[in-house]
Amino acid sequence: MKTLAYRLIAVALIGVALSFTTESFLTVANVLNVFRQASLTFLIASGLTLTILTAGLDLSVGANVGLSACLAATVMQSSGSVALGAATGLVFGAGVGIVNGLMVTLLRLPPFIATYGMLWTLNGFTYWFMGGDTIHGFSPGFRALGSGYWLGVPIPIYLMLGFLLAGAVFTRYTTLGHDVYAIGANREAARLSGVPVRSRINLVYVLSGAMAGLAAVVYLARLNSAEADIGEPLTLPAIAAVLIGGTSLFGGVGSLLGTLVGALTLTLVVNGMNLLAVDASWQPLVTGVIVLLAVWIDVVTRQRAEANA
Amino acid sequence: MRRVPGIGYLLVVLLIVFSVSGSGFATAANALNIGVQSAVLLLLALPMTLVIMSEGLDLSMGAVLSLAGVVLATLLMNGRPLPVALAAAIGVGAAFGLANGLLVVSLDLPPFVATLGTLGIAQGLALVATGGQSVVGIGDALPALYESRLLGIPFSIVIALAAFAVFRFALRQTRWGAYVSAIGGNRESLVLAGVRANRYHVGLYVLAGAMAGFAALLLTGRMSSGHPTAAIGMEFDAIAAVIVGGTSFERGKGSLGGTLVGVVTIGVLKNGLNVLEVASSLQVASIGVLTIVALVIESFLQPAARRAWRSA
Amino acid sequence: MRGISKTFPGVRALEDVSLVVQAGEVHFLLGQNGAGKSTLIRILCGAHRADSGEILVDGAPVQLRSPADARNLGIAVIFQEFSLVPYLNVAQNIYLGREPRGRLPGTVDHRRMHAEARRLLDALGLDLDTRALVHELGIAQQQVVEIAKALSQNARILVMDEPTAALSDREIERLFERVRALKASGVAIVYISHRLQEIAAIGDRVTVLRDGRNVASFAPADRTVGELVHLMLGRAVETTYRSRFCDQPGEVVLAVDDVSSENGVRRATLSVRAGEVVGLAGLVGAGRTELARAIFGADRVIRGTVTLDGKPLRGGPVTSVRAGVGLVPENRKADGLALTRSVQDNVLLAGLRKLFPSGWYRASRAAQAAAEVIARLRIATPSPARLTRYLSGGNQQKVVVGKWFVAGSRFFIFDEPTRGIDVGAKAEIYGLIEQLVAGGAAVLMISSELAEVVAVCDRAYVMRDKTIVGELGRGELTESRILTLAMHHA
Repeated sequence: MKTLAYRLIAVALIGVALSFTTESFLTVANVLNVFRQASLTFLIASGLTLTILTAGLDLSVGANVGLSACLAATVMQSSGSVALGAATGLVFGAGVGIVNGLMVTLLRLPPFIATYGMLWTLNGFTYWFMGGDTIHGFSPGFRALGSGYWLGVPIPIYLMLGFLLAGAVFTRYTTLGHDVYAIGANREAARLSGVPVRSRINLVYVLSGAMAGLAAVVYLARLNSAEADIGEPLTLPAIAAVLIGGTSLFGGVGSLLGTLVGALTLTLVVNGMNLLAVDASWQPLVTGVIVLLAVWIDVVTRQRAEANA
Repeated sequence: MRRVPGIGYLLVVLLIVFSVSGSGFATAANALNIGVQSAVLLLLALPMTLVIMSEGLDLSMGAVLSLAGVVLATLLMNGRPLPVALAAAIGVGAAFGLANGLLVVSLDLPPFVATLGTLGIAQGLALVATGGQSVVGIGDALPALYESRLLGIPFSIVIALAAFAVFRFALRQTRWGAYVSAIGGNRESLVLAGVRANRYHVGLYVLAGAMAGFAALLLTGRMSSGHPTAAIGMEFDAIAAVIVGGTSFERGKGSLGGTLVGVVTIGVLKNGLNVLEVASSLQVASIGVLTIVALVIESFLQPAARRAWRSA
Repeated sequence: MRGISKTFPGVRALEDVSLVVQAGEVHFLLGQNGAGKSTLIRILCGAHRADSGEILVDGAPVQLRSPADARNLGIAVIFQEFSLVPYLNVAQNIYLGREPRGRLPGTVDHRRMHAEARRLLDALGLDLDTRALVHELGIAQQQVVEIAKALSQNARILVMDEPTAALSDREIERLFERVRALKASGVAIVYISHRLQEIAAIGDRVTVLRDGRNVASFAPADRTVGELVHLMLGRAVETTYRSRFCDQPGEVVLAVDDVSSENGVRRATLSVRAGEVVGLAGLVGAGRTELARAIFGADRVIRGTVTLDGKPLRGGPVTSVRAGVGLVPENRKADGLALTRSVQDNVLLAGLRKLFPSGWYRASRAAQAAAEVIARLRIATPSPARLTRYLSGGNQQKVVVGKWFVAGSRFFIFDEPTRGIDVGAKAEIYGLIEQLVAGGAAVLMISSELAEVVAVCDRAYVMRDKTIVGELGRGELTESRILTLAMHHA
């Protein structure tokens, strides 16, 4: 909890710095926009957080969002039903999660390899499926999901808060959630304590995939179009958000609230760069550096804790 | 390391299937085509084999290659002689390799995270430097070299095979080659034997980066320009080739010959699918599936081998 | 080695130990687990530094600051954990780091390397292809490669730590032939083994360590086996750790019938009744932990049955835990605790499914259950939220045991429960165990400390070579009987 406070302070500091350096930052529109963007990142990163908590990883989330969004868009357009399209996206995303989970538990592939292979497989299928086309023009009602407001607040923020709440309940008030942390902290000890390790791991990958599917639908609403490459730039920020938020790659430590703070931090940095007219090409670089920093802090924290024991 | 990797049989099957069903596949010209298309990949896959043998991974190779290509093209465009430009490209690659090596060995970061980070950095630098545009006007020296042939064999294939020969020689004939396997198989034994394991370990990543820089020679020559995202994703093909060729992620088991077969298989797969007019994106997907299948097969073969190795 | 002393935090491992080994002599180093043999050996090979004392080679004092120093002096050790690289061939492994140079800089003269390796292997009587990859070899062959590796360093002092632990009779005989050949060539050998009959085969002198001291050095002919055992055990231990032994055990809680498991256990049969503490004794490598894991379901049973309260117990740990079995593992930090989590979380680790069958975790109930156990077991922690890694060994162990209290286990397997724990905490653990059985639970306790087995257990089984070789009832339970069963080679 202490480190979470530090991270929140860091966010506040960045916000303050930005409001001094550029006038367009501290406007209602911009702030709301930042939160909207952070919400989208959070939705993807939330399921991912669970997999990282088990000392695993889901590198395929971005590609999953991409393909799920394209599938959802296609179904929406051809069937005319928003609900059907959304359901397709969700189900497909979860399906990818099931395959990921099985690769990890049944085939015992290292998570980063399994999901990395999945990433490229999904990527390939997305490009093939879309064939360079773009699908756009969805109903205003649907688009409100991503771009609209309710009571003056962008709708994705409600989704973010909703899933934050759900996630918090899951991690703190269910035995499933506690099992997840136990597995991440020491998988063998958890196994020898009667925790059904395999089934929990399957679950977190399914959830990661399902959240990717959900995020895909929201992205679709926001962008109002679907192309083959929408998923590509999403993986790195999602991972960055989780790591910046204090969740350890080694498992057992972290929280969804942290991921939210991480998403906010990252979005603020990107927003700042945009407002300061920094070339957008710098963004992956900055994100990369931030990820390295976050992981390094993670490693150092561990080493120090072990030395003090 | 002497047995034919299982993928060899798959390669034969693919060759037969494509020869029968695709017109224009089984020609000498097409064979050379496959070779040329696979040359760059082989240059990346060779050091990747070593990195994976040491229980590591280098996800940044594609981005570093792109960046090196941009560096190479820019220097050529500014009139610098080819050797100088190439040296610079290799230098850039080696610098990133050094960064990777230090992150993994000295700071103890998990390899995929460390190289994922440097991937972002390399990619970012390339994009910023070029503004997303290609670097053209590199002159005639490089394209001419690229188009040249030695005894009828295209330049790129010659280079790739030469690299393979050098790597193979080094792996088998030098002390360093044995140490590479030891780093993955039993690092302690190296340390106990008084060898500076860390240095060799970092050196592997430096080599990977340098080779990515060197591969820019072929890539830029082929495209006659440097583009910041030209090689994005190639590391995945390289990893796939290595895994499919039988190198495993643990215990120092690896085979350069297997990697060669893996590279050729992927080249054949892509080319064959092209001839059959399958979309390139589906080809990527098929490589993903191929890798997963190869991993599955390997995970079934592993437990049998594990019996003989006694755990403490 | 003269007057060697070494203290580790909390324990005096060696006290003024002296060891004299002649050239061409096989010197047996005997002692129970924890007597100090490993420490002495590690000092000899340069891995540890002695606090006091000196080491002399050929009469001249030497400084051993690192393994490299030891190697340069011709000291080679073959530990039980092999230092071989699996995917390199035999010759490469033997000469790792010292490869003969080839013509081009950096290259290796393979022909010479293989020729030298061939010569070494021939001298050792092993007909092995030097180009074979180590991972393809059988354990005995790998061992010979290790010996060859040591010899290639022109070892004049060779230390062998339990070399025959994994060998068959025939392989042992071959090993002895090689040892004799080494003796003849003047190599001094320090040989650690628990198999007393080996002394007769190849031993020239014996030194017995006990509690960190050299209690005797003599020629094998000077003592009988019985006297040897007595020397290893020392004075009879008077302390009773149990106030009341179990006269009338209840029903059979655990029945293990002719069980063989994936991890090497062969045809083990035992039973534990309610109210009993049954010991499982034997030497390191006898297979006790493997049997415990097989019973618990952590490793697969391939033959035979395990029955709990009359019902077959099949499946993995999830099933066992639900059925009421609790395992306190040998390595509590690696297998029993999540060090990065709090005491409360660890204590509840196994009991979540029992406490909250609906799946909803209620913080208040959890805190209450944890507090109960912490109080009952007197786990010393400033708060339940303290991370387990900061607890003392004894308290960490209590957390592991407490875990099973919350889970409501009725059958407990303790694997080396008091290893690495101070005297005070030990007594508390014994008290806990006594409480458990007084309440009707059944306990299977694995221990390498003979005194502990005798003082705490109602009866005991003894294991050797991955199977059960004997059962000792209350009246027959003595340290020497256990040791004899554990070491005797039928």
